[in-house]
Amino acid sequence: MALSTGARSNGGSATVAQRLQKELMDIMTRPTSGVTAFPDDENMTKWTATIEGPDGTPYAGLTFKLSMEFAANYPYTAPTVLFRTPIYHPNVDFSGRICLDILKDKWSAIYNINSVLLSLQSLLGEPNNSSPLNGQAAELWEKDMDEFKRYVLTRHKTPEELDAEI
Amino acid sequence: MDHRSLVFASVFPVPSLSHTTPTPIATPDLGYTGPGQSFGSPFVGNTSGQNRLVKRNVAWSTATRFLSLPKLGQDGSSNSSFDTQRVPKTAEVEEALQYLLVDEGKSEDGHEEALVDWYTNEARLHFAGFVRPALKELWQKDIELQSAWDVLEETQRTLQQVQDLYLQPFHEHILPVICHTNDSSSTIRPNRHSQTGPDSVNWGFRRDIHAVFAHCLPPHRFSKTLSYILYDGGCRLFRIYVRRDGVHANTTPENTRAFRDRMTNLLRGLEQVGLGGDNAQKAFAHAMDKLMDSFIVSHYLKVDWFSKKSIVPHLRMWIKDGFNPLIQLIMECLRCDSSDVQPTELQQWQEMALGRLGRARVENLFDFVINWDKSLGAILDIKEYLKVSGAKQQLASSFSQQVSRRLLHPGVTTTYILNVYISVIRAFHELEPKGVLLERVARPIRRYLKERDDTARIIISSLLTELNDQDRTKFAAGSELSYEIASEMQKPFTNVNQEPDEELNWSDMNWQPLPTDASPEYKKSKVEDVIWFLLTLWDREDFINELKNILGDHLLRCQDLEYEKEIRLLELIKVRLGDDKLQACEVMLRDVLDSKRINASIRASETLSLQTPNQNQLPQTPENAPMTPRPRRPTTSGPSRLPPSTPNFKPPGGPVLNAQILSSFFWPPLRDDEFLVPAPIQALQKEYEARFERIKGMRKLRWMNALGDGTVFLEFEDRTEEFENLTPWQVSVIHAFQPQPGEEWAGGKGKGKAKDNSITRNVEQLEELLEMDEQLVRQALAFWVGKTVLRETHPDTYAVIENASTSTADPDAAAAAQELAEVQAQAQAGAVRSQSDLLDEKKAMYMSFILGMLTNQGNMPVQRILMMMRVMVQGGFPFGVDELKWLLGELAADEKVVNFGGDVYGIRKG
Repeated sequence: MALSTGARSNGGSATVAQRLQKELMDIMTRPTSGVTAFPDDENMTKWTATIEGPDGTPYAGLTFKLSMEFAANYPYTAPTVLFRTPIYHPNVDFSGRICLDILKDKWSAIYNINSVLLSLQSLLGEPNNSSPLNGQAAELWEKDMDEFKRYVLTRHKTPEELDAEI
Repeated sequence: MDHRSLVFASVFPVPSLSHTTPTPIATPDLGYTGPGQSFGSPFVGNTSGQNRLVKRNVAWSTATRFLSLPKLGQDGSSNSSFDTQRVPKTAEVEEALQYLLVDEGKSEDGHEEALVDWYTNEARLHFAGFVRPALKELWQKDIELQSAWDVLEETQRTLQQVQDLYLQPFHEHILPVICHTNDSSSTIRPNRHSQTGPDSVNWGFRRDIHAVFAHCLPPHRFSKTLSYILYDGGCRLFRIYVRRDGVHANTTPENTRAFRDRMTNLLRGLEQVGLGGDNAQKAFAHAMDKLMDSFIVSHYLKVDWFSKKSIVPHLRMWIKDGFNPLIQLIMECLRCDSSDVQPTELQQWQEMALGRLGRARVENLFDFVINWDKSLGAILDIKEYLKVSGAKQQLASSFSQQVSRRLLHPGVTTTYILNVYISVIRAFHELEPKGVLLERVARPIRRYLKERDDTARIIISSLLTELNDQDRTKFAAGSELSYEIASEMQKPFTNVNQEPDEELNWSDMNWQPLPTDASPEYKKSKVEDVIWFLLTLWDREDFINELKNILGDHLLRCQDLEYEKEIRLLELIKVRLGDDKLQACEVMLRDVLDSKRINASIRASETLSLQTPNQNQLPQTPENAPMTPRPRRPTTSGPSRLPPSTPNFKPPGGPVLNAQILSSFFWPPLRDDEFLVPAPIQALQKEYEARFERIKGMRKLRWMNALGDGTVFLEFEDRTEEFENLTPWQVSVIHAFQPQPGEEWAGGKGKGKAKDNSITRNVEQLEELLEMDEQLVRQALAFWVGKTVLRETHPDTYAVIENASTSTADPDAAAAAQELAEVQAQAQAGAVRSQSDLLDEKKAMYMSFILGMLTNQGNMPVQRILMMMRVMVQGGFPFGVDELKWLLGELAADEKVVNFGGDVYGIRKG
């Protein structure tokens, strides 16, 4: 209540906040298993998302945290999404940056948080090895899956470890 | 002489240590002959010195023998014989005195003992030997308060006598000699006193004597006793009966004049024997301090409950005409330096007294506030006190303490707090019309009221309450309605036109600057407007939300078709809060008013088609206007005359339906139990719907069957009964006891068969038949059992009591069932959904919120979760910590979250 009234009064960002609040409601009322997201504070422009590694992939059973940041003209620009959990993946570099077309030039206003997270989840199982950010990972994915898995597990940190670092 | 005294004496020569008794006549001391000098030879050098020594010794012995004080028995009672047996003063003595005091025989540079010093010593020793033991004994123990006067008087008398005894020879024999010489010659005597002369000698002697007197009394005890008798004197003179010392003064009036004389005599006497002065002054100040306190708590300054006036003028008068003269009198007796009281001092005392009175009053301010306006006198006293500097702070902090101790705790009902708050507003308005203090002291109360869930409900429903004398019981203790608020509402509506900006109104001759101690958000409240204070308790949005709920409930139940009170309330709130936010409430009000019109017009068209003359007036008669509103676009209100339960009874015109059409968007969530209404009503609803759509351009109606009320006629074999104000489900349930189409009554009037086998239904059947919740079914059944319409033949199976006289219905069972029904009905009563319903309904959504939050943001304390919920959930999270903890508890029971100790919760792993 407080938020919606507050938002109305300050123009541009209001619509973003409203939109994000609506998305939050959608996510909460119809949760998708394996992905979830929640705002960091009442500003709503920064969120933390959680993705569970899909079964049948090297990431099965692992939990990844991501940060999402929404610009004032969201949904007309893509959110900035980063992996906060270190991940060994062909399309993610060591600082967590993601190479995914819908987060770049293929972004469209019809996407929302849920769809972004689902895309990312499927990216875990189906990396785009033709344009890797992590060449070694792309190579290992093709050649030596066991070695790849080893790298994934070495690099992975549970949310608790992640929290402990901060 | 012990060692310590010797050491002391070697440094500070103490006369008494070397005091000589008068020399015996027979052994004149011839002095000391130096070595090598012939003893007694007249030719020895320094003859004059030798001579002087001899002569002085002789004179000394004569004088001291003459002056020595009589040695008496230890017994103090022989005081009376002090001045007997004095040795006659001979010429020889006179000569000796003259010689020793002024002529050559006087002491030289302290080498030899001066006669005055000797006499002083003599007096001292005499005192120590004969008087002190008696006094010591008198003062040995703590002085009983009762005997204080006697002890002091006794002491004074003794000392006076002793002093007279010592002074008499001094005055008669020593002083005249000195005086005489001093007049004739200007020789400066080397004396121990820096300033010589008879005055200083006299003064010195007195001082020494007084020091001796003062030392023999325990100083602390003495000043306490003195202080006490001064206090006691004050109390007795002013007839103050409630005293600090716990002594119960006899209430018989004393002879004030005689008593005053006694006191002044004693004080004068004490002053004369040197017990006045600084110490006495201190004791006196102490006593007066206590006296003032006692006066303030005395019966003179009781709160004026009767004529409701301030007693401060009385206090000022007492200080001026009673206290002040007493002080002057005593000061005079004790011969204090400044015996006249300055006017400024008088003023100071008045201020001081006022300050004390004020503090005493403020300590009980809470009681005065509760008893407003009988306590006007006390409040006026405090008002005077507020002029004293620092008083406001003291008042604010003291009152806040009282409030938090006595009011703001869970044991106090919200209604009571509200009533007290209203009293606070009124009392503080009198106390300080500017309202700064009120703002300060009311802040904790307001904050606390805001936290209570039921505050808004109580305020608004009290505002909507009719204030009739016969309804007094409604406001009984423990009730949820506040009489104070209701009566405020009754007051004529004072115009609160806010002047646009009164700071810019240059021609305002009554303009005053804002109080200096006002807080920044201080606004001058011009009117003593209790309702304004109550309505501004919350943020506008919160309040209006609450108002919407209560108003909605109220409107749906209201029997007054004109809705006068509601309109008035809304106007009132608009004036105070501005009308921009009250749109929803206005729409609600307009909905119910419009519904009336729509009913009328629909009825009109109905009448045309049905040609039933008497239905025309039905919408107008209040008992025919129950309602069944339901949101979605427009809504409808209720069936008016529901069909009679027995088929062969047909009221003229059949059942009638009135609807209330509510704009769902603006109304608070309403209860929406789904069940089937009786078929005739359904038919009416359909028809109504159709007509409505025709009038309102195809807008759809969604019926809310749970709301509304109905009236039914029931015809039994032996009687006909009418029931009013039934809930729709009660109507539906009783209607279901009619034979249904297809049931065996098809042969015609079911009556004949029902005779020995009246229709029975069990709970399950009813649930199924009506698609109704079991809870509602049971409640309705209990209601009808209570009305002796139904009877429980077997567990969960009910039958109509067709024949009341022959029925075996146990009246006790009926009564019990009725009670049960009432209890249940209360729980069901609210038309607007209660918070707990809401919580239940949205539980899943809230839980997924909590899970999402904890998953992504890590472990969190409850407070933080609550804060996030309030911000994040669309539509708000209208619950508190308790509800949240309950949700968390549920989640923990489902093993989804874990409590990590304290208030911190997190997601359960694995």
